[in-house]
Amino acid sequence: MDLDLAEEQQMVIDMAKAMLEEHCPTQLVRDMEDDPNGVPTELWGQMGELGLNGLLIPEQYGGGGLGLLEAAFVYEELGRAMAPVPHFVSCVMSAKVLLAAGSDAQKDAWLGKIADGSAILTPAWLEPERGQGERGIALEAKSEGDGFKLTGRKRSVPYAAVADQLIVLARTEAGVDLFLVDPNAAGITRKQLLSQGREPQYQIDFDGVTVSAEDRIGEAGTGWATWNACMHEGIILLAAQAIGGADRCLTETVDYANQRIQFDKPLGAFQALAHYMADASTRIDGGRVLVHEAAWNADQGRSVSRFGPMAKLFCCEAYRETTRVCAQIWGGVAFTIEYDQQMFFRRAKALQLSWWDTPYLEELIASDVLD
Amino acid sequence: MDFDFSPEEQKFAEEVENWLVENRDPVVMDHHRENFTQLSDTPERRAFMKKLAAKGWLGMSWPKEFGGQEIEGVYEYILNEALSKHAAPQIGKGVGIIGKTLIRHGNDFLKEKFLPLILDAEVEFAVGYSEPEAGSDAANMQLKADKVEGGWLLNGQKMWTTSAHFADWYWVGARTDPDKPKHDGLSLFLVDMDNPNLEVQSLPTIGKDTTNQVFFDDVFVPDEYLVGKQGKGFQMISEALDLERFTMFTLSPIANRSDVLVDWVKEAKRDDEPLKDDTNVRRTIAHIVTDTAVAKALSTRFVCAAKSGGKPPTIESSQYKLFTTSLSQRVCKDALDIQGHEGTIMEGQDDAPLRGRFEGAYRATMNETVGGGSSEIQKNIIARRHLGLPKNF
Repeated sequence: MDLDLAEEQQMVIDMAKAMLEEHCPTQLVRDMEDDPNGVPTELWGQMGELGLNGLLIPEQYGGGGLGLLEAAFVYEELGRAMAPVPHFVSCVMSAKVLLAAGSDAQKDAWLGKIADGSAILTPAWLEPERGQGERGIALEAKSEGDGFKLTGRKRSVPYAAVADQLIVLARTEAGVDLFLVDPNAAGITRKQLLSQGREPQYQIDFDGVTVSAEDRIGEAGTGWATWNACMHEGIILLAAQAIGGADRCLTETVDYANQRIQFDKPLGAFQALAHYMADASTRIDGGRVLVHEAAWNADQGRSVSRFGPMAKLFCCEAYRETTRVCAQIWGGVAFTIEYDQQMFFRRAKALQLSWWDTPYLEELIASDVLD
Repeated sequence: MDFDFSPEEQKFAEEVENWLVENRDPVVMDHHRENFTQLSDTPERRAFMKKLAAKGWLGMSWPKEFGGQEIEGVYEYILNEALSKHAAPQIGKGVGIIGKTLIRHGNDFLKEKFLPLILDAEVEFAVGYSEPEAGSDAANMQLKADKVEGGWLLNGQKMWTTSAHFADWYWVGARTDPDKPKHDGLSLFLVDMDNPNLEVQSLPTIGKDTTNQVFFDDVFVPDEYLVGKQGKGFQMISEALDLERFTMFTLSPIANRSDVLVDWVKEAKRDDEPLKDDTNVRRTIAHIVTDTAVAKALSTRFVCAAKSGGKPPTIESSQYKLFTTSLSQRVCKDALDIQGHEGTIMEGQDDAPLRGRFEGAYRATMNETVGGGSSEIQKNIIARRHLGLPKNF
């Protein structure tokens, strides 16, 4: 048992940290908020060049073939920088779905481009008034000839304006299936809905969109199983992202608490405030090890049916709670747009609500333990 | 990074586990005693510790020169987790803070007298730091030690000495130099509990066992029973805590309670429906299981920090203690909430759910966030040493 980093792992962290410090200043994060495209060209290019986009993609497709643990290290840095990039939707979820169930043709067509950043894929998953489980998929994919016709509405599709392909979860006669869909195909309309985390998100209407049989990912009726397995690993990285955001939020708050004087002493000398920060640091440090343990287990080929949901449940709540108590320490300025605290505060809650929210994760864990 | 024990550590864990199963004894191993299971306070439990000694499992991390095996402290951690999982007495004060302090600072007389007794499980200790005026402010001990011909005369009072009613020897902090600053005026002594001028008074608690207050009325302690240098008591107390992170607060009892609760929920019914189908129960269980995994992660963190042999894992240990003790109480509270009105049926009665395990545990764990450095003290340590915030008291 040891928590030491291998030399290569430390190098990955240092590289991501240095690149983000240089290419992802907070001003860039602010500039990208609500931007319809939302992809900062220079930063995205850097990530592709440094191999960060192909992190999880095997070498044969031009990726780095690294494990989930290394990806978790990078995600902590992405979270710390609040990096406004379509990495999770494209390089994690879409890549994982294709790797898990894609045909050779699908993998050959997209994985290399995902790895070098020249293509962005994004999943179209959630729907209005529907939940985050298998039952939530209602968008209809009706068999027609040797293909399908898609009709329905998707919500909260990140980066849909710049996506080269959508991965659409749809209801077929066989159950749930995944389809690669060109977002510019006839019958598709995209409308941006502003979101709390301020990444570009779209509502997409499908009005009889034609999809060929070759664009289905995997065997008929296997879509949810594929998606579910990829989500269990993907959310471990979002947990890492939450830890990175929480850690930076706390670090900046500690600095402020050491400088800001009230009643003739620094804020940090008041136990009521110091104890908030001590609690937050405990949750962050514990959550970080939980994330690493979850990712390490995934890399060992062990089940993460419990670890994945536990990591996201705990770390997203740790992030949210950290931003709440830090706001108490900053006081009124935390409420202003001028200060950065509000950026963490909004992102923490948005991350907690996205990609399986608290009740959904609780049920996944309970089911793994009790049923 | 590796979250598994090494093959050697794994082998040792299995050996201990098998041995504990073979030596199962309901008189010695009683989960209903909760945290008091760690004490060797009955003849049966002392006999059990003799068996552990015969296995060579006491003082494993000690230097060979003093009868140890010089193996890593993580083996003592594995041993104690296994012992506490089975509600068996644990290796603790003797091979831990007292033995290790004697090895580093004790005179030859004390080493020769006590170290073999510790390794053979022939001696039980009580530790006396707390006093009426020295609670969280541990350095504020007032118990006086006046120099007299051939020794010291101790007068005053100790509080919360859990083992005083059965221990053989008393490891006591006393003020030898009242004119020096409070941290520099303390010394450590070993006092024979049979001393007639020592009076042990039981303090019943809402847990199932008692603790004690101890009164010193001209208790004479010979010179050779002064531990280390005069005036270095507080430094030795702090150092010992840092030396002894591996065996401090075991996670197994909490993990065990979580498991017991989960198993019970799986089978229980309410209004003829399985209790496990209740959404609130399911949410509660999800959080208990998750927080228990975080506690384990925090324990992994301090064990790895301690293993690395660098600076003592004070911060990691404080974070673990802070999180885990509050979780421990939360598990008991949640269990009672799930059991509802039946949860109030007092422990020990067959009609109570789980024979009242959680009714009793709810009371017994109340002290965990206070004893051994309160949660607030842990937060002060984390705030100052980890985050670099100013002194706040």
